[in-house]
Amino acid sequence: MTTLHVISHSPFGDNRLTSCLRLLDNQDALLLCGDATYALKPGSEPYRVLQAAGLEQRLFALEEDLQARAIPDELAKAVDYPAFVALSLHYDKVNTWL
Amino acid sequence: MKFAIAVFSPAHAPSSRRALRFAEAALAGGHEITRLFFYQDGVHSASANVVAPQDEQDVAAQWRSFVSHHQLDAVVCIAAALRRGVLDEAEANRYQRPAVNLPKPWELSGLGQLHEAAQVADRLVCFGGD
Repeated sequence: MTTLHVISHSPFGDNRLTSCLRLLDNQDALLLCGDATYALKPGSEPYRVLQAAGLEQRLFALEEDLQARAIPDELAKAVDYPAFVALSLHYDKVNTWL
Repeated sequence: MKFAIAVFSPAHAPSSRRALRFAEAALAGGHEITRLFFYQDGVHSASANVVAPQDEQDVAAQWRSFVSHHQLDAVVCIAAALRRGVLDEAEANRYQRPAVNLPKPWELSGLGQLHEAAQVADRLVCFGGD
């Protein structure tokens, strides 16, 4: 059973991201959207944590939220809404960190 | 594939707009939305009384036209709605409140509708947060 985890809260305001990474199975994926994309800001502590997690092809970010914040997509694969829909079907369940 | 989509945030939150864009993309991709469920502060996304600033998108109106246009099953949690003052005509009459802000296409119903939607759909996708 694979899970797509979705986080939309800033990594600087709470510990959802670190909690999620602790629970993330090696077949699971993580999609960052909204303020959660600040975790992809190069040089930041959350960026370092994500890099260390070694998610490779399992880390995604919503393209429009990256663009709105001028954050590069070097660590995560940028996805649009059709790709978000496809991701939600590729994984068995979608778990949003509300 | 069948989607159930639950919205936990009001119309002014980015996640409400994100849920709408996701729902649009799901239908555009040939998928089905078995039910939309508006819970907690998400009931404000269904309110007809929301007035968006002129330089911002009116996400509540966009939800309304999306639901109407596609004739979707859009359920607003009754307990969450009552405590937030989001009332249809029957509830406004029942509790003798001066205004109705939940006309069609929305339906007030219970949390069981979310549970059922999760059983029927292939995926339940929830939207909340920033």
